[in-house]
Amino acid sequence: MPAPPPLINSSESTGRMKIVTRDYLFARGWKSAAPILLLLPGFGLYLLIAVGPSLATAVYSFTDATGIRGIAINWLGFENYDEFLFRGAASRDNIAALRRTLIFCFFVTTIQFCLGLLLAVLLNTRLRGRTIFRTIFFMPVILGVAIQGLIWKLFLLPGGGPVAEMFSWIGWSSEFLGGQPRQAFAWVIVVQIWANVGITMVIFLAGMQTIPESLYEAARIDGASGWQLFRNVTWPLLTPAVNTNFLLNIVGSLQAWQLFLVLIGYRPGTQVLGYLVFAEGFGQTSGSVSSAFRQGYAAAASIALFMLVLIIALAANAFVSRREKKYLS
Amino acid sequence: MTVVSQTSPSVGAGGTEPGEGPQVDRSGRTAARRRKIFSYAILLAFTALYVGPMLMLVLTSFKTLPEFFKNPTGLPESFGFDNFVEAWEQANIARYLVNSVFYTAVATAICVFTSVLVAFPIARGYFKGAKYVLLLYLVALFLPPALIPQFQLILNLGLFNTRTGFILLFLVNPIGLIILVNYIKSIPRELDESAAVDGCGYYRFIFKIVMPLIRPAIATVTVLHAIGIWNELVLPTIYLTSEDLYPVTRGLIVFEGLYGSNWPALAAAVLILMTPMLVLFLFLQRYIISGLTAGAVKG
Repeated sequence: MPAPPPLINSSESTGRMKIVTRDYLFARGWKSAAPILLLLPGFGLYLLIAVGPSLATAVYSFTDATGIRGIAINWLGFENYDEFLFRGAASRDNIAALRRTLIFCFFVTTIQFCLGLLLAVLLNTRLRGRTIFRTIFFMPVILGVAIQGLIWKLFLLPGGGPVAEMFSWIGWSSEFLGGQPRQAFAWVIVVQIWANVGITMVIFLAGMQTIPESLYEAARIDGASGWQLFRNVTWPLLTPAVNTNFLLNIVGSLQAWQLFLVLIGYRPGTQVLGYLVFAEGFGQTSGSVSSAFRQGYAAAASIALFMLVLIIALAANAFVSRREKKYLS
Repeated sequence: MTVVSQTSPSVGAGGTEPGEGPQVDRSGRTAARRRKIFSYAILLAFTALYVGPMLMLVLTSFKTLPEFFKNPTGLPESFGFDNFVEAWEQANIARYLVNSVFYTAVATAICVFTSVLVAFPIARGYFKGAKYVLLLYLVALFLPPALIPQFQLILNLGLFNTRTGFILLFLVNPIGLIILVNYIKSIPRELDESAAVDGCGYYRFIFKIVMPLIRPAIATVTVLHAIGIWNELVLPTIYLTSEDLYPVTRGLIVFEGLYGSNWPALAAAVLILMTPMLVLFLFLQRYIISGLTAGAVKG
């Protein structure tokens, strides 16, 4: 029975110990090739369908690739970018879409963040039925965009639908998703928040459960009121969850566009950048190889969106880590 | 000392504010009750926003078409299942369900299995450069979207509009891999050593020892990955053109396009297709919420 002396004796440096362990294992027990051979399928697939294509997006953005197999692809240099940002009416639409993406992100992030926090605060008490409430608010998350969208299309039925009825009681009327672009856009924001506030809430709740009850008791003994408890105990100690939700909401809403597809389709005056990429690359509603979609141009658009997400995420991250330093040190 | 003994009962009685004397204590209790009523009012208002659309869906699915046009919001006159039968027959629901189950099961099984085989040697550092491979999975979350080159790849492999090509798109999950790596790190290394010494092969070790030990992480990743595939709408829209291959999400949108304003039938189809997910959710809620939020947090 070979004892493992090299393992125990080599305590001079951890780096050395690792090497010894590996030699020991593979010399006496396992063939050294086995772990690598068995890793290859998974890792190869990862390179093939995720990393490779992801990096290739930048390459494609300099070409005139189409959606048809076998057509020669030509190098265009920066032409796609030039066209996307600076040329003609289309570029003005693109800039408008970019602005709309930012507006969408702003409203979704702030409202979803605040509502998620509110719901979490309310559900983090000994309230009866709080698991039922949690289940209800989380439910849309598991249904997916197709079902979320269809449910709301029906709920927002103009002329006699439930929301239309309620609006008519107070003398309002609305065309909802079929109305003015601005109006339809606002309703997509509503549905987006409705669908995703559950995740924000659950992350906040998980964060709140890590705050020890004794801190609240101590603060109460010092005479802190409900608001003071929240301001001075919950909020600072919730920092990790706050940061997570803040970043997730920003990045998620900048890239979200699928509810637009289900709820209103590709309508002028409502598109966001994500939808633009899809429409340019694959057609406005569905993919088919028969028409010549401009995939090179779409790749340029998707790089533009990626840059936007990257810049905003980095800025948000800098903001968040400053905040973390302030509260957690 | 007296302060503590006076406040502790009020803390015990539902977390109210502390009082300095009996009369303040009573007012604290009414304040707590008021706050409770206020909480319920807000929560119930939100609940209406969630239950309302569902209720509308259910009510609509029981109406006849003329009845729906006359009165979209009210109660149906009778509760028959005609719309469900119609939706089942017209919308190819059985086929979409079979397709979705097939794609989800096959892709998730392959993804989780190959991921464990990647995650284990990375977590252990059993090959040179394991750290860099892990880094490659971490940065994937910050790389540009792969949509267009992926399409070119599938197209040039001749896998456009095939089951194989579609499944291929769902075989990797970097977040899932990171979850697995972190979990495997919590399993003591000595286990590997004694297994190797006792002559247990690598493959058998992964199968018989590692897999059962990391079951919670496997469950999380499975849930995360499977729900992602089941709910995916964009990729089937891009990659599948024959209706025979559609999963439920794409099928629903097509059915909506064809049946446009026949909301009763459409509502019935939506209900049929969302029920399996809802039932699963109610039973596996804990796993599903932790799976999806683990994905969200790591992403």
